[in-house]
Amino acid sequence: MKKVSLTAIVLSLFVLSAFTTPVGKLVSKDTHISFFSHTSLEDITANNYKVVSTLDTASGDIVYSVPMQSFEFEKALMQKHYNSSKFLDTKKHPKAKFIGKITNLGSIDFSKGGTYNAIITGDLDIKGETKPMEVKATITVKGNQVTLDSKMNIVLADHGVTFSGGKPSTNIAKEVEVTVKSVYISQ
Amino acid sequence: MKKKKIKIIVGVLVLLIVGVSGVAYYMFNMPHRNIQETNTDFSISSSEIVNEYLADATIANEKYLEEEGNSKILAVTGKIFSISEDQNNQKVVLLKGPSDKAGVSCTFTAVTNAHTKDLKLGQTITVKGVIRSGAGFDEDLDLYEDIIMEKCDIINQK
Repeated sequence: MKKVSLTAIVLSLFVLSAFTTPVGKLVSKDTHISFFSHTSLEDITANNYKVVSTLDTASGDIVYSVPMQSFEFEKALMQKHYNSSKFLDTKKHPKAKFIGKITNLGSIDFSKGGTYNAIITGDLDIKGETKPMEVKATITVKGNQVTLDSKMNIVLADHGVTFSGGKPSTNIAKEVEVTVKSVYISQ
Repeated sequence: MKKKKIKIIVGVLVLLIVGVSGVAYYMFNMPHRNIQETNTDFSISSSEIVNEYLADATIANEKYLEEEGNSKILAVTGKIFSISEDQNNQKVVLLKGPSDKAGVSCTFTAVTNAHTKDLKLGQTITVKGVIRSGAGFDEDLDLYEDIIMEKCDIINQK
């Protein structure tokens, strides 16, 4: 009998810990960011799996740090161009950063499983050029795991990425679609 | 005589066009650098390179990062702190000394993933890969960021 109750306690503890809700600061070292550029001449995609993000469930603060050299292109030449001082200048600006806040924090219950729509406003710094932006995201709470999905458009010229001529000016869209997926865990 | 001259000119022109378009074609379809088959630039321990970055990130970036993204190829030796997997199903091995504030996060590839199979936490290994960014304390994240290496494989294990 004693054994049974002990087992029950241990079991319930396990069950409880499995369903502990994420509170405080969540960290994601498992974030995927991709961007997609479409023109009638060419479609270009690049992927980055090394992004770090934090999400504070109490304050709504959200931060992304993006190692720019981790974007992988299908074509090596494109990757070279992208990294070069003419475009993203990744040696000088190895990281891009987004600092923002969830503005509708009240409508997201991190203690209850479900899917929530979030509105995030903040500043995006690419190549030393900071621009305010507002993005919509979907936050999914499942047990102690929180995931964030978002899609946004970024105007390259806003961050000093301009193409004056040649192939890049015709083959790269002025506005690229950026897709984000973060998997957060509590620290 | 005139005909011969024209023939030569046409011949040279054709060769030139073929040559130029060949080079352009190669440039456009140039393969990615094969990291594992390229010579290592620096052999270093995870603690040493983290300390270099924490001491002065600007100097370290100057030393390790390259303008067109073909940054230095490193062989980093360190203790395995954690092993995980990213959203691309690539294995991620973090090399980090027990008293270090940051480590070296090594991402493997579809080809090299399997080599991490028998690794154990605390084991000392040497990983070769290309550096993408350095370590440092980020005030906005309020945490230390690890050095990032990708296209990794294990070149030595104890």
